[in-house]
Amino acid sequence: MIDSKQATDALADIDDTVRRLRQSLIYRFTSTIMLMWGVLVFAGNISGWFWPRYGLYFWIAVYVLATAGLFAISARNYAQSRIRTFDRRYILSFLFIIAFGIFCCVLGQFTGRQQSTFWPVYIMLFYMLAGVWFGTAFIVIGAAIIALTLIGYVYIPGMPFLLWMAVVNGGGLFVGGLWMRRS
Amino acid sequence: MAELDDIIHQPLRLKIMAALNALPVSAGLEFSRLKKLTGATDGNLGAHIETLAKAGYVQVDKAFVGKKPQTTVTATATGRGAFARHVATLQEIIAGKQV
Repeated sequence: MIDSKQATDALADIDDTVRRLRQSLIYRFTSTIMLMWGVLVFAGNISGWFWPRYGLYFWIAVYVLATAGLFAISARNYAQSRIRTFDRRYILSFLFIIAFGIFCCVLGQFTGRQQSTFWPVYIMLFYMLAGVWFGTAFIVIGAAIIALTLIGYVYIPGMPFLLWMAVVNGGGLFVGGLWMRRS
Repeated sequence: MAELDDIIHQPLRLKIMAALNALPVSAGLEFSRLKKLTGATDGNLGAHIETLAKAGYVQVDKAFVGKKPQTTVTATATGRGAFARHVATLQEIIAGKQV
């Protein structure tokens, strides 16, 4: 028979393993979503740079594809792991976040350039909040993309800013997704 | 008086069972993910999974994903029950109900 200290250590081992498992499952699921967003955001910014007049339509297409992608990834994840990752609460939270973002853009009468800066910074804020609960990788990725976005906003004038955003936002999400997958 | 499960009590097997038990029923973990999670070597992990499988605590499934072989380990109902009893015994020891 073991003593109380050994029993406490064994339970601590169990808790630590379960915590690391949950983090690993969250990272695996989120990394797939980040890879998808990375590609879509890259395409959205590049398309806006090539055809600026149709920028709004490209971004609507990006969000429609991303929503469909989220459902597809969630369904695939459920089929593989039997873990439900995307339910009504997530959809509702996502809608609240988007609605508040639109409210800020309308109220602040943001220009196109300001919106291209605001949305990544706003969304990355939620990544950083997620990091507080689910793992530091979210904080690192969020902080890096916010910093690079703000550097571009201040130092890169005109349309090349969209190219910068394609690389730092789209590319950042893609690289972040790969990094998270390996963590 | 409940007793500790000798098969589960070994530190690496305890980690394996803790991870598998935290998953939904019928969900499993790939060998590579278990290896990363427990920090064990291939040989060590394989040997301990075999011990758990012989006791009927886990089920091991081998399949090909594309061209790569993939081993998935899943906790059985017997394994989940044994793990729950083991944890309950640990808690009793801490509470001083067992000496």
